[in-house]
Amino acid sequence: MRKSIPSLRGPAIVLAVLAFVFLMAPEFYTNHSVLLTMMTFMGLAQGLNLLYGFTGYLPFGYVGFFGTGAYATSLLVTFTGLPILVCVLGGGLAAALIALILGPLLRLSGAYFSIANLAASQIIYFIVANEDLKSITGGPYGIKIEQVYAPHASYLTMLALLLVVTALAAYFRLSRFGLGLKAMNQDPVSAAFAGVNVVRERLIVWLVSAAMAGMIGGTYAWDLSVFYPSAVFTLQISVFAIVFALFGGVGTVIGPLLGAAVLYMLYDGIGVSAPQYFELIYGALIVGLVLFLPNGLMSLLTRRRINVL
Amino acid sequence: MALLEYAIIGGILYGIFFSLVAIGLNLIFGVMRIINLAHGQFVMLGGFGAYLVTSSLGLNPIFGVPLAVLGGIAIGYPLYYGVVPRLQRSRDPEMLSFILFFGVAQMIEAVMTLLFGVDERSLPGEALGSGNFGVLGQQFPDSWWVAVAVSLLCIGGLWLYFSRTRLGYATRAIIANREEALATGINVNRVSAIAFIIGLSLAGIAGVFVPYLVGSISPSDGSDLTTTSFAIIIIGSLGNPLGTVVGGLVFGVGTMLMQTFYPSWSNLVPYVLLVLIVLVRPSGLLGKAVRNA
Amino acid sequence: MSSEPLLRLENVGKRFGGLTVLDQLSFSVHGGEIVGLVGPNGSGKTTTINVISGVHQADVGRVIFEGHEIQRLPSFRIAHRGINRSFQVPKCFREMSVRENVEVAATFANRGEVEIDGILEQVGLTSQADIQAGSLTVNQQKMLDLGRALATNPRILLVDEIGAGLNPAELGGIASLLTSLAARGIALIVVEHLLDFLNRITNRVIVLGAGRLLFEGPLKEASQDPEVVAAFIGG
Repeated sequence: MRKSIPSLRGPAIVLAVLAFVFLMAPEFYTNHSVLLTMMTFMGLAQGLNLLYGFTGYLPFGYVGFFGTGAYATSLLVTFTGLPILVCVLGGGLAAALIALILGPLLRLSGAYFSIANLAASQIIYFIVANEDLKSITGGPYGIKIEQVYAPHASYLTMLALLLVVTALAAYFRLSRFGLGLKAMNQDPVSAAFAGVNVVRERLIVWLVSAAMAGMIGGTYAWDLSVFYPSAVFTLQISVFAIVFALFGGVGTVIGPLLGAAVLYMLYDGIGVSAPQYFELIYGALIVGLVLFLPNGLMSLLTRRRINVL
Repeated sequence: MALLEYAIIGGILYGIFFSLVAIGLNLIFGVMRIINLAHGQFVMLGGFGAYLVTSSLGLNPIFGVPLAVLGGIAIGYPLYYGVVPRLQRSRDPEMLSFILFFGVAQMIEAVMTLLFGVDERSLPGEALGSGNFGVLGQQFPDSWWVAVAVSLLCIGGLWLYFSRTRLGYATRAIIANREEALATGINVNRVSAIAFIIGLSLAGIAGVFVPYLVGSISPSDGSDLTTTSFAIIIIGSLGNPLGTVVGGLVFGVGTMLMQTFYPSWSNLVPYVLLVLIVLVRPSGLLGKAVRNA
Repeated sequence: MSSEPLLRLENVGKRFGGLTVLDQLSFSVHGGEIVGLVGPNGSGKTTTINVISGVHQADVGRVIFEGHEIQRLPSFRIAHRGINRSFQVPKCFREMSVRENVEVAATFANRGEVEIDGILEQVGLTSQADIQAGSLTVNQQKMLDLGRALATNPRILLVDEIGAGLNPAELGGIASLLTSLAARGIALIVVEHLLDFLNRITNRVIVLGAGRLLFEGPLKEASQDPEVVAAFIGG
């Protein structure tokens, strides 16, 4: 019969290593914002991997959920004064709500979905940043939530979110639910006749992926505490999440984390001072990946039949 | 009333021009079923070509048009043979081309930013005529009329190519059914390469006039031009190059009406149109109802 | 066979654009019965199977399975109820092993325990159990497709042109597999061009022409029916 409960050792090790690294890192490296941004992109790459790696839908407008979360969290802080963690949760819910409204986009396939999702994220951005909504969102002048600024707490929250999104990826990879995803990713019609509720599974992944981006965005906003709309809606965020995840290898648990960590360090090393050179490098990297290594770094191992999580 | 007329006539002119901006993307998709996500960057290159023609050579920007064609050949030929046949053999050409050309777009943008900086560039305002020309009492700058005339010439030329030449017939055959075209002995690879070059050249030609219709050009304008082009070809009909004109007109008139009456929301137009169209009628206004499961 | 039928189609109609592909189609199928579905190309055979299995929805009419209307249900719910199918062009999970292909269906169909090894044996893929489905031959993939359907414990199995391209020995094997399934009480609707093959497993056929039911009865009598002859010669 079917292998019993899949081993939980792999995910446990990955989570423990992640937690250990980011709990210890501030002892050795004091640049809070670099570490936090690194976790942000690792989380986003993993969140995007949940959708792209397990269902094949590439959300080019993933930043829309991130920005929605950032703004929803900030508006909740400003107008309700609820505890900050509740506001972050609200950011995740708001992003999931947007995803629910955009649910019909999942009827589209391939590039149509990606482009429509990109357009949707631009719509959200233009609405939030619109001068006419200055009294609510601050419009193009940005928003301030300095009253909740607490860098240590936001750091730990971001780490917790990174652990959650990674645990979700492990769940998608190892569970019965994940088996259904794997089947529908290869042939949705056949999966339906195997009894998989393709539409519902896809929608669940979409909502979960959006909610994670929303909470990550909310926490990022909390940590920044003062920001312009362009800071949380720039297409660059989608782009980084996609490139980082592809580089490491989508559909795996470790790939997006590794890809994001390596490339973000590279970005931090050369990208901040010379962003165009970095852009050139990752542009070339994408072209090279598609042509020579379409399944990312992890496929160097899986090709040799080494099992990776 | 005058405002409305201005918006509609301006929208038609603007729309005809944007049909030219978008048409190359549609041609390449129709023939190769690959998505040139660097399309807007090629438009932007055309704009910078015209900038160089005027600033370094002191020539009229209209000479940017032949330069765009030369550039289309010089870039398109190696790019086609370097990546397209390989993409078409892959398991998912559409999605992988989408990602690959996204990489190409980033590279073009990076190189152009390194060369020209991030500043907006504009072209000499008088070069395409300094006056206005009116229709139905509505005045528009001469440069708009030149851009529209060039757009109509290019689109008409493409139509003649499709309907009057052997290569054009072959191209249409490939658009209709790639496998059958292969079976009937058409040199699909060569015809596709030519279509690819035409697509890039048309993008470059459109780019020459972007600084006039939009005001300026900078290396980072590419991605907006790509999404706008996408909106236009999806509104028209994906894979049907001449259907692009319908999409261009809808986009142009919509944008001009918004700019006239609700200027602060006008940048939403292409995106809202795109999302609405793909949700309501994914095959575009002219397309047959097809949708992938 | 006077008992209540397992599946009943009542005046089912389906159009694609302006083209009528199914027109007032009615018939019923009982448990344990094998029904051949024949007709010229474009007569609506595969569309009939697609409508029953929820791939397409009927525009009008009803599809009744075990007394319940199912014409509005999505495919996976129809699979849960016990109707399953194979495809003309086999659709496997190409990057999964043969065994995993069958396991997915056994896991998600919620139709009780099934013996995976037994199914692999029935479809003749025991020795291929651990290789990737994508590397099977087309004929083996057809068998795997059938195995995936069987793993859902179906009460009705819709078989779409499984015979094409098989040699006589393989056809014989499938014929005995299908008759043994029917003997277990599973109803089968078999779309097939190979009339000899059909003749071996059933004597009841439904002949479609341009989406309409032209004839229903023994295969031998079908060839004497003037309407059927006209449809095949004209089509």
